[in-house]
Amino acid sequence: MTRKVWALLCAGAIVIGAASCSAADEPGSDGGKVTISYGIWDKNQKPAMEKIAQEFTKAHPDIQVKVELTPGSKEYWPKLQTAAAGGSAPDVFWMNGPRVGLWASQGALAPLSERIAADRFDTSKFPKSLNDLYTLNGKQYGIPKDYDTIGLWYNKDLFDRAGVKHPDASWTWDDMRAAAKKLTDPAKGVWGIGAPAWPQELYYNTIYQAGGYVISPDGRKSGYDDPATIAGLRLWVDILTADKSSPTIKQTQDTDPIQLFQNGKLAMFWDGSYDAIAYNGTEGLNAGVAPLPAGPKGKATIIHGLANVVYAKSKHPDQAWEFVKFLGSEAANRIQAESGAVIPAYTGLEETWVRSMPKLDLKVFVDQVPDAVPYPRSLNTAAWSAKESELLSQAFSGAKDLDATARELAAFMNDALAKEAQG
Amino acid sequence: MRSGRLWPVHVVLAVGAAAMVLPFVWEVLTALKTFTESTRVPPVWVPSFAWSNFAEVWNSTPFVRQFANTVVMTVVRTLAQLLFCSLAAYAFARLRFPGRNAVFVVLLSVLMVPDQLFLIPQYQIVQGLGLLNTLPALFLPGMFSAFGTFMLRQFFLGLPDEIEEAARLDGANPLRIFWSVMLPLARPGLIAFGVLTVLWSWKDLMWPLIVNTEPEKMTLSAGLSALQGEHVTEYPVLMAGSLMATLPVIVIFVVLQRQLIAGIAFTGSK
Amino acid sequence: MNRREWAWGYLMIAPLVLGLGVFFLWPVAQSVYYSFTDWTLFGGSTWAGLDNYARLLRDPEVGQALWNTFQVMVLGLLVVPLAVLVAALLNTRGLRGVPVYRTLYFLPVVTMPAAVALIWRWLYSGEYGLINYLLSLAGVSGRSWIADPHTALYAVIVVFIWTYVGYFTVIFLAGLQGIPAHLYEAASIDGAGRVRQFFSITLPLLTPTIFFTSVLMVMYGLQMFDLLYLMFGKGSPAWADNKTIVLLFYTKAFEEGAKGYGAAIAVVLMAVTLAITAVQFRLQRKWVHYA
Repeated sequence: MTRKVWALLCAGAIVIGAASCSAADEPGSDGGKVTISYGIWDKNQKPAMEKIAQEFTKAHPDIQVKVELTPGSKEYWPKLQTAAAGGSAPDVFWMNGPRVGLWASQGALAPLSERIAADRFDTSKFPKSLNDLYTLNGKQYGIPKDYDTIGLWYNKDLFDRAGVKHPDASWTWDDMRAAAKKLTDPAKGVWGIGAPAWPQELYYNTIYQAGGYVISPDGRKSGYDDPATIAGLRLWVDILTADKSSPTIKQTQDTDPIQLFQNGKLAMFWDGSYDAIAYNGTEGLNAGVAPLPAGPKGKATIIHGLANVVYAKSKHPDQAWEFVKFLGSEAANRIQAESGAVIPAYTGLEETWVRSMPKLDLKVFVDQVPDAVPYPRSLNTAAWSAKESELLSQAFSGAKDLDATARELAAFMNDALAKEAQG
Repeated sequence: MRSGRLWPVHVVLAVGAAAMVLPFVWEVLTALKTFTESTRVPPVWVPSFAWSNFAEVWNSTPFVRQFANTVVMTVVRTLAQLLFCSLAAYAFARLRFPGRNAVFVVLLSVLMVPDQLFLIPQYQIVQGLGLLNTLPALFLPGMFSAFGTFMLRQFFLGLPDEIEEAARLDGANPLRIFWSVMLPLARPGLIAFGVLTVLWSWKDLMWPLIVNTEPEKMTLSAGLSALQGEHVTEYPVLMAGSLMATLPVIVIFVVLQRQLIAGIAFTGSK
Repeated sequence: MNRREWAWGYLMIAPLVLGLGVFFLWPVAQSVYYSFTDWTLFGGSTWAGLDNYARLLRDPEVGQALWNTFQVMVLGLLVVPLAVLVAALLNTRGLRGVPVYRTLYFLPVVTMPAAVALIWRWLYSGEYGLINYLLSLAGVSGRSWIADPHTALYAVIVVFIWTYVGYFTVIFLAGLQGIPAHLYEAASIDGAGRVRQFFSITLPLLTPTIFFTSVLMVMYGLQMFDLLYLMFGKGSPAWADNKTIVLLFYTKAFEEGAKGYGAAIAVVLMAVTLAITAVQFRLQRKWVHYA
């Protein structure tokens, strides 16, 4: 903006009777008191976050925290990006795995490693896979807030009616496929299992259970042309096209499979710990949950969790860090645990969440953490993840051959990753 | 033409009207169903009148506040557009000055640009003015409209010259002529344009969503979007919310449709 | 006198020019500039010259998106004849219930895009959708309209048309009411039937309105965003081949953080819109009948 345009704008603003035309209002710094903002997107967690903010202010009377909710993550990201492009994102905000690479590599997040070391902040209280998720090029950018893993949800009534043994920790892929076939009953409109083309809940898990990988540890190479990776995808393609024990991709696209499971149309469904509240509260649904079955290479589950990050251009980086530290404390995680919305990232506090829904064996999600693989991401995950879901949903729907599609995806991804490396 | 001959016309119109209305009937029915009823196959035609869906919307969004915000945004935008666009439209239609057509064409080029392109720069301006999360942020960019100028210019082009000539010979200046002679003449056109602006403004989604994040400062359309974020596939609740957000403008249209048609007809007369 | 008129002219357009300049024209200029840079998410830009445009020419997604956008525009223009037909029928003398019809046809126009998308997703649903249920009564088995890559774009275009028919019907109805009745009376005396009257009187006199609405509809079609954005769900097989240019721009700029490339895509769209509109204005002399 040139000065002239500003002058004109201000003139216009005065005519309209808008606010003062001095520099933008700095979020309050009056007499040593500072107000920082905290960006979140989940309405259900707002009360817990506000309670944490109040507790924080009790301990630090000269720092106020304003919780800013943007309901729905679909709106949260464009909004946050627009704000960050204008230099005015919240001082502290929620970050997720797929986006951390982009935000950190483009300089929007403050690296926290030095502050962690200087304050002897103990990050070993969080699952290592989560710390890794928010560490790029040896620098940690986020402090884990919560986590989720994937479990095998099943409908007890459908199993009992079909006389099939409930799933347990000993299950393999084959046990699951056989059960799914038995449980499928087209006359009743019941399917053995739901297989939408979802990465986090479905095929990322089977890729690692088959010994494959989505992205190499150095972040340079796609794993989609690796035979083991393709084997992990093939399981779902077989269930969909050969066994026909799942609704088609088009059907699950139309009708949320979560809804199908709630309505007793699916006997099994892979889904995250975050939907436990929904299943626990569904009338007439008698749900159970088991660990994911073992693949050819054994057990694996995708772990993902949010982290609290500090905005690189925050006007109050010290206070923001103080707050992030408090968010990662036992006290703050206890408040999260009591709200029951998510599994707190702080080791030892999962129990509160597990006990919050006694009908369900939620311990399954916590017990899988040792086998957990961090959510695959690169510096610019979005540059290939859209293509990934586009191509794989076509392979899952039978419109395209799986091998060829996987190789096409690998080529595309390797291209995108090479661009990142130059970036 | 005796009305007995009109039944084929009625048949065609009724079929079209059914296609227009059926989705709404379905919306109303779904809004009154419980969640389980809504997913029955074959569909249930008589709902169990689950008013709780509306209560759910009422309790989970600051509905009254958002309604008030939407009204304020719509009213300010509409009045400002009426004033600024009609002033300029009159000048473009009736006054001669160097560069008139060039400026007009440049302004029209705004119509060629997808709205999403303006998001970031406009956000930065509003932020620079320190107006994020305020009511003015909602209406500021929407006070000016290239489309409105275009449409109102058509109105003024359609008005007869003689009256203006008479006023001019009396020595009145253009602003005076505009204010006391042309505006009263163009009234039907202005009302029509006003109604259309109200409709578009009421529906605006992307801008209110980006610029104001606090639920108390949101508009109904942004609030509805937020509701969708929470109840992903709970169609009954979402439909109830949609109904509540849409009813006010339907009422406005029903009340003012005669003026709207008359006003638009006024342009088509040339 | 003349000088004074100039001054008044400038004075009267000043507020609007200022507002549009600051809030609209300046952003466009900025975007054009960005399209020649590698602009990252949060500031930092480097001059890239024509790189973005070179990349755009090689990008198969852009070609696909242009083709989809073109389809939306062309099929969207069906609104014009439909609206003319409805308006002409509504204008039948002695017809009762016109305000009721008018209101019903206008309902979709006043409904928020979020609500429209919601209702239609619900109607199109393969499993619980009303459309497939009605088809099944007729013995036809439906498909998942919105999820099927072959039908998704057309399903959205149907909604697009449905949304705008009422709006343009009202505009045409207004135009029809401006046609003097004595023209029709004279034609009746000459023994012209209703259909002939329509083609020899109504249609020629409506051409200015038809032109105006076609220009608008082309712009709406080229810029359609809300419906697609709201109607396609997460991981839909339909995403791959059914993006339009605006959606592609949005994905690049807001999802992938490639603002410079996104801006280049937007500039291409502007150029296309400008070209098509210019052609429309060129051709209008050939067919638009200004009385």
